[in-house]
Amino acid sequence: MEFNVLKKALIDAAEAASVKEYEIYYMETAESSATGFRGELKGMSSSRSGGICFRCIVDGRMGYASTELLEEGEMAELVSRAVTAASMIENDDRAFIWGGSPAYRTPETAPEMVDVNTLSTAALSLLDCAMQADTRVTDSSESTAITEETTIHLVNSTGLSLSNHISVTGAVVEVIVGDDEEKQVAYDIAKSLDEESLRTLAAKTVEEACAMLGAGEVETGKYNIVFSPKQARNILSTFSPVFSSKNAQQGLSLLAGKEGEVIAAPCVTVSDDPASPLAIAHTHFDAEGVAAVRKNVIEGGVLKTLLYNLSTAEKAGVETTANASKGSYASPVGISPYCFCIEAGELSFEQLLARAGEGIYVTEMKGFHAGADPVTGDFSIECAGFRIENGKIGAPLKSFTVAGNFFGWLKEIEALSDEVEVGFSGGFTCFGAPAVFVPGMSVAGK
Amino acid sequence: MLNQSLVAEVLGRVMRGGADFAELYLERTKNHVIECVGGKIERIDSNLLSGVGIRAFCGLRSVSASTTDISRTGLMACAAQVGDAVAQFAGSSAAPSDIHLTERRFGDIHPVVIVPGDGQTGRKIDLLRTGCVAARDYDGRIAQVKGTLLDVDHQILIANSDGLFCEDRQIRTRMAVAAVAAKDGENQSGSCSPGRRMGLEVFDLFDPVEIGRHAAAQAITNLSAGYCPAGQMPVAIENGFGGVIFHEACGHSLEATSVAVGASQFAGKLGQKIAGDKVTAIDDGTIPNGWGSINIDDEGTPAQRNVLIENGVLKSYMIDKLNGRRMGMASTGNARRQGYLYEPTSRMTNTYIDNGPDRNEDIIASIEYGLYAKEMGGGSVNPATGAFNFAVREGYIIRNGKICEPVRGASLIGTGSEILQNIDMVGQNLDRGQGMCGSSSGSIPTDVGQPLIRVSRITVGGR
Repeated sequence: MEFNVLKKALIDAAEAASVKEYEIYYMETAESSATGFRGELKGMSSSRSGGICFRCIVDGRMGYASTELLEEGEMAELVSRAVTAASMIENDDRAFIWGGSPAYRTPETAPEMVDVNTLSTAALSLLDCAMQADTRVTDSSESTAITEETTIHLVNSTGLSLSNHISVTGAVVEVIVGDDEEKQVAYDIAKSLDEESLRTLAAKTVEEACAMLGAGEVETGKYNIVFSPKQARNILSTFSPVFSSKNAQQGLSLLAGKEGEVIAAPCVTVSDDPASPLAIAHTHFDAEGVAAVRKNVIEGGVLKTLLYNLSTAEKAGVETTANASKGSYASPVGISPYCFCIEAGELSFEQLLARAGEGIYVTEMKGFHAGADPVTGDFSIECAGFRIENGKIGAPLKSFTVAGNFFGWLKEIEALSDEVEVGFSGGFTCFGAPAVFVPGMSVAGK
Repeated sequence: MLNQSLVAEVLGRVMRGGADFAELYLERTKNHVIECVGGKIERIDSNLLSGVGIRAFCGLRSVSASTTDISRTGLMACAAQVGDAVAQFAGSSAAPSDIHLTERRFGDIHPVVIVPGDGQTGRKIDLLRTGCVAARDYDGRIAQVKGTLLDVDHQILIANSDGLFCEDRQIRTRMAVAAVAAKDGENQSGSCSPGRRMGLEVFDLFDPVEIGRHAAAQAITNLSAGYCPAGQMPVAIENGFGGVIFHEACGHSLEATSVAVGASQFAGKLGQKIAGDKVTAIDDGTIPNGWGSINIDDEGTPAQRNVLIENGVLKSYMIDKLNGRRMGMASTGNARRQGYLYEPTSRMTNTYIDNGPDRNEDIIASIEYGLYAKEMGGGSVNPATGAFNFAVREGYIIRNGKICEPVRGASLIGTGSEILQNIDMVGQNLDRGQGMCGSSSGSIPTDVGQPLIRVSRITVGGR
């Protein structure tokens, strides 16, 4: 069903129901992938999904409803469900339908999706590179090449009409190395399917997995910890809800009322950039239609701003930071960053290790969804990594935890490396960080 | 939900590509979420999911496609896409053949009394508010309460080229209350989130007041708790959601998803001793109204009760059709998928360690110094290495066989093969807890469970 046909049916249904203020949010995603296993294609899949969310203000309150049943006849029902929801909401925060920003960044043209043959060839070539990279790579290893494109339309009753079209193509490899006695696993992503990227991805992932073979345990105690860029950004990502003004206003973030205060070490600056060249997918408007903008959230250790949408900004008496977000078409408007990064420091990675002297380089952390609580800031996370001896990477280590509190962690950061790495993500939110050195953290091992 | 002759035509189109098996999965799901924050109804969502997933096998290879366009044209286009991709694998296409479908009706072992649809919103708001108010009124230090009531009405149709045509309707209801206690600029949290494959009558089993009070009590306990010490020690893990230890340390590694491709520490170990003598573990999709229960799995195989481990010996894996081909074994009724966008694979249903021989008081009394993990949070595992982790939400130090002061912020980590052997005492108060389990076929409801158990030695991640 064409979006324009649905849009018209929905606008007609809204008018018939005497709904004056409303927004239509439509998202459509197409995805294809091919998976390689034991030298052959194991599977291919493709999907086309999406839906439409209608939200409207009735008596000052916002009601939502959404559907994937994209039929003209379904649109009146959708309006009716949203109106009913609005009548039962008790939230007193002011609801907004945005009339449009003065200017929007011109979106870049999205690359075309690649075809199935290209995906198949890339998946097999990636797997082959991984298998050839080291004799210890087992035939349980797997590769997948993926291409995806998403189209978003946001239309509202003020006449605002915005669209965005993005496309992402990449590959992932999961390498399992070892023998019957011991296995190690590594997993990584390339943001392109060209031969060089695939070869580099395979070599790097195999090297990472093999380096962990023979990992030993570490004594329980306090250690200087250097977090790899990947793990530093995982920590930032896990605790990013504390920067949401909604959580702060609801008493669910300890950063409530801390704007303008020192909350991190002086070396820490955290930026949020919707147009970051390090991110794959960009948007020029947020989920309420406000023009997306860059901002520093932490600058030199000082909390400059939380992340706002129209409602929370009005409540706080500030301007929105245009961080309204939607996880899927059906999600209510929440708050998320775009490309949220701890900015680079001044030390090379080698200098950072030298600064740590003796300690642990943490390259793997797992179970953040359970072992970390954004409400309290506490975390205790399963880790693997390497000893740092005399300022250099030493023997591999496994099965230990690193525990701390995010708010303490931010203040105790002693130094940062000079290169930021940004992760991959399906939506408009991604995270980045350099390697981060924090002294004297609690480690549980043997 | 779909005309049988159209489904047969769609499957026939897929088979023309030379596949040896074709399957259609149609879903229509109504999701409702009501959220209450600070005593006010903050959010009422209703979402209708609708789509179809078509899958074909050619030996050990699979091709799948999904679409939200369930018109005849949309379905045939999706079928052609799968069929044509299979033809590349098969090398040649097959002659057109008729698919003869026979409708099968499986009994419903999970009866629902009050379907929690759109018309019940007022009643659901009252129930949710009752839970939230009970949490807020529990103690003056409760600073915030967030409650969610969610219900899912998930209707599925499964048909395949073997002639199967069946439908099921899965209704689930769950309330989650999260309480935050605050003191001196510090927050602590507590939560409680029971659910069942039932309608609103689930709240005859679980009083919303008790749900709220439970969450609040946990937050208040944690407010007075110091950090958990770090290191290896014996741990007594309480019943119910404590069973997450088995789910992570062993359950995922017994799914054919990892076993079939040799990416599990327990691959090739059927008949071998992999756990302590007192450990018998079961995956049972047939428990009436269980949160993780099913009538049929997402390939249309009837739910089963599978003994995975008996007295420490590995007896069975959890198997779906495609991985079953690779393993040369039949499906155990464990194929599950979040919805039409995901390909099904082997997953857990209600998985638990069965009651054992030890008295609960003897388990606590046996520990000179260790941790009593009263309530657990979620966790994760890497099946290939067996390395797992999970979080302790409410814990206490055990000293000289007695439960003493509360401690917070702990996680437990280990390797599945090692920890299973370290389960050396198994108590007698089996209970189950509800969770959402994430894996390659999406997020699905599963129960974990166990009685109180003792793990003789495990790494406690404290500070």
